[in-house]
Amino acid sequence: MTIDIEFQNVTFYYEGSNTPALKDINLSIKPGEIVLITGPAGSGKTTLCSCINGLVPHFHEGNFEGNVLVRNYNTKKARIGGLASLVGMVFQDPESQLVTSSVADEVAFGPENFGIPRQDINERVETALKATRLQGYEEREPFNLSGGEQQACVIASVYALQPEIYVMDEPLANLDPAGRAQVLRLIVDVAKKRGKTLVIVEHALEEVIPLVDRIVVMHQGEIVRDGTVEDVLSSGDLPQVFTRPPIIRLAEKFLHQVKPMTPENFYEEISSRHRLGTVQADNSTSGEPNVNRDPIIEIKDISYSYNQEKEALKKISLTIQEGELVALLGRNGSGKTTLVRHIIGLIKPSEGKIFVRGKDVAITPTHELAQDVGFCFQNPNHQIVTFKVREEVMFGLKAHNVPPSEYEERIHDALEIVDMLDYIEAEVFDLGKGQKQRLALASVLTLKPRILIIDEPTTGQDPQMAEGIFNIIKNLNEMGTTVLMITHQMEYAANYAHRAIVLRSGEIKFDGPIKTLISNRIFMEENYLDLPEVTKIAGQFKEHGIPSWLVKIDDIIPYIQNILPKID
Amino acid sequence: MAIEFQKGSSLLHELDARTKLLMFIGITLLAVIIVDPIIMAIIFALLYYLGTKAIDTKLLNKNLRVLVVIFSTFSLFQILFFTPDNSYFLFHLIPFTELVPVTVQGIIRGVAVFFRFFSVVLSVHLMLYTTAPVDLALTITKREKDFQLRTDLLISLLIGAIFFVISLLEFNQEIKSIALSPILQYLIVFVACLLLSFLVVRMASHGLPPEMGVALTLGFATVGILSKQTQKITDAQKARGYDVQPKNLIKRIQVLTALLLPIFVATLERSQDIAIAILSRGFDYNIGKRTYRRQLVFHRIDFLVMGVIIILILGSLSLNYLNIGNPTEQAILSLLQG
Repeated sequence: MTIDIEFQNVTFYYEGSNTPALKDINLSIKPGEIVLITGPAGSGKTTLCSCINGLVPHFHEGNFEGNVLVRNYNTKKARIGGLASLVGMVFQDPESQLVTSSVADEVAFGPENFGIPRQDINERVETALKATRLQGYEEREPFNLSGGEQQACVIASVYALQPEIYVMDEPLANLDPAGRAQVLRLIVDVAKKRGKTLVIVEHALEEVIPLVDRIVVMHQGEIVRDGTVEDVLSSGDLPQVFTRPPIIRLAEKFLHQVKPMTPENFYEEISSRHRLGTVQADNSTSGEPNVNRDPIIEIKDISYSYNQEKEALKKISLTIQEGELVALLGRNGSGKTTLVRHIIGLIKPSEGKIFVRGKDVAITPTHELAQDVGFCFQNPNHQIVTFKVREEVMFGLKAHNVPPSEYEERIHDALEIVDMLDYIEAEVFDLGKGQKQRLALASVLTLKPRILIIDEPTTGQDPQMAEGIFNIIKNLNEMGTTVLMITHQMEYAANYAHRAIVLRSGEIKFDGPIKTLISNRIFMEENYLDLPEVTKIAGQFKEHGIPSWLVKIDDIIPYIQNILPKID
Repeated sequence: MAIEFQKGSSLLHELDARTKLLMFIGITLLAVIIVDPIIMAIIFALLYYLGTKAIDTKLLNKNLRVLVVIFSTFSLFQILFFTPDNSYFLFHLIPFTELVPVTVQGIIRGVAVFFRFFSVVLSVHLMLYTTAPVDLALTITKREKDFQLRTDLLISLLIGAIFFVISLLEFNQEIKSIALSPILQYLIVFVACLLLSFLVVRMASHGLPPEMGVALTLGFATVGILSKQTQKITDAQKARGYDVQPKNLIKRIQVLTALLLPIFVATLERSQDIAIAILSRGFDYNIGKRTYRRQLVFHRIDFLVMGVIIILILGSLSLNYLNIGNPTEQAILSLLQG
């Protein structure tokens, strides 16, 4: 039997690090196998991928022990360029992998490196673009495409290498739901259907598990589980490391079987086995907590366009009350970021007015507004300006002329909220991505803003980190801060926010309780919004009286128990 | 204002990148050779006309407007200080003194200088506006041989002949002073020109090593992303409450350092990302044997444009040779004296 990829006792330390990134890894992958690698951030998944195409140890240097064989080539002796003809890599952030100035150049880049004649290059570009449904995009600039199209372009450029093995490191993480669907379809098209070997790293288990043959779970550089999908799923959750999708857990609980299934399957199975009853449930979707009814942000009829051709915002009117926690939703390019930028004066509207705590944004400078409005960006690296955690948090205080006697207390409080007090003397660039995000949040919080605006705080983070951030946001809101957050993670939005605003093509399409929103499946789909997994399941049981806005698995279990016939 | 490539399908866009590079060199040569203001103005007008066909006139003017002031100063200097002997005196700039005489020759020279500078600058602008940076980088990158030896020889011969004619027109006296029989004199000059042209062709086909060429194209492609990134960082700092454009100079420098660190980090990250991305797609496979999707092809129009420029160069040289290189000046003088 041939083997495509073989790890033999591989241990790897990055240069200057005392903890191993990989610890005694043994793994062999057969041709045509589709393997999911999962585990929390920092567990060594990316390092493992980099071993397969030789980036470790040739590009990322360090202490490398053991052997990695790819189709019998020892990666230690091979060049990265040589391995590239066998192994196609797709990484998390599509923008960082696009290097040329047109889609066609991008796809041709690999074949050019292999010295393939021009005629063949053109053919490969054509087939690759066809396979990834990017025909007609040849002359477009890669960095002006949407996230999903960018990742499709990356996949096309890897496809043009005609590799036998695809390695994809969180290809879905940076995309919105529409982009994720697009890329997922492509993964099936280019790898699965054509029988190529595929190693995929992902946190989005619900979406990926149905595609794969085998699951490998990693933790702290080691493989903690490895087996077929059924085996790994039936051996239960590992706290903080591996949490199975809700549908699997429900199937285990109520059907006593563990296998990937859709909500529809689940409902069919359970209703064919049992005669289901109905429950009387409070199906009202309003139920908002008591909020102070003073308007804090007032947006009146604003319009804005980046260029003459298309309006980014069309006559938006909106009032946000003090103490609200609002989720701003919509697909990429719908105008969410443009809208929140107006609130702090980074963009001035072409028409209309905005008031923040009664101040007219048009005549108030941004640095003055920043005292009331804290703004957190997607990429924490764009915000960090110093090398030390303490200095970073202090920087904003200095800029706003806060009396130095208050420094210590404010720094302490801010770091406490984000649970980073232990890192107060640490170097910023030693922190992980999740910690940097929390640090960026802390340095905004030192100014004690009344309003907090957060633009996709959890892009590319694992579920544990994301939950941490959302918990912080919730605490802040309970302490009285008004929060406006942009997110694609419907599950968290539905769990934490009270009110949802959906934008599409620069217009408000929905503004109301988030429960009402997720109960409306058709509207959600039309706007490319992801329905949380549990909500999909709850939707199946609508006729049995289960509210269709449930989000948490712990909420749905008692309902299902109630509609099942009593056994005693 | 940065000059960025504008997409289009005009005559200039259709030209091969190499033609445009040669056109720029040719115009520069012309600007050195031609002294007549009207001929130069015609060439300028022609270039400008091509420019308005190729890109938005507003954009074109925006960048040229600034230069009008600078080049006018240059021509003013010419008018004031270019006073050759026995030139036709008009008046003194400072009245009732003998200071700063203004002459006909000076004015003509001044106007010519204005158009000469402008034509050179305009030709650079047009080249950059209408050529994709990638193509420009390719023109100076070494690539797999497209040409046969025969075509190579033919080109060398052609360029050699042009050199020969130029040397005949420009350095006739020097050639005659070579201590050999007349036929041998010309033969030696011809061989020298041929040698020179071979050298030029050799050097031109050598170009940058492919690593550098690809690095250059990658660099061009990154400009857009980097400027987007810088904007994001500036916004992030503004949103955090920094007054990005304070009135106080010292504060302004402090703010700048606050921007520099994240920009520096982001750029470093970007270069690391690019390195990983290109290595993962086989950049170090066999760089010497690298092929290119983009093809540089000369069409009939390219040969036409090059031909026109060569004729212009040779023509203006012959005018100089026959001492009628400045017809405007001669006409005005004869009018004034007559």
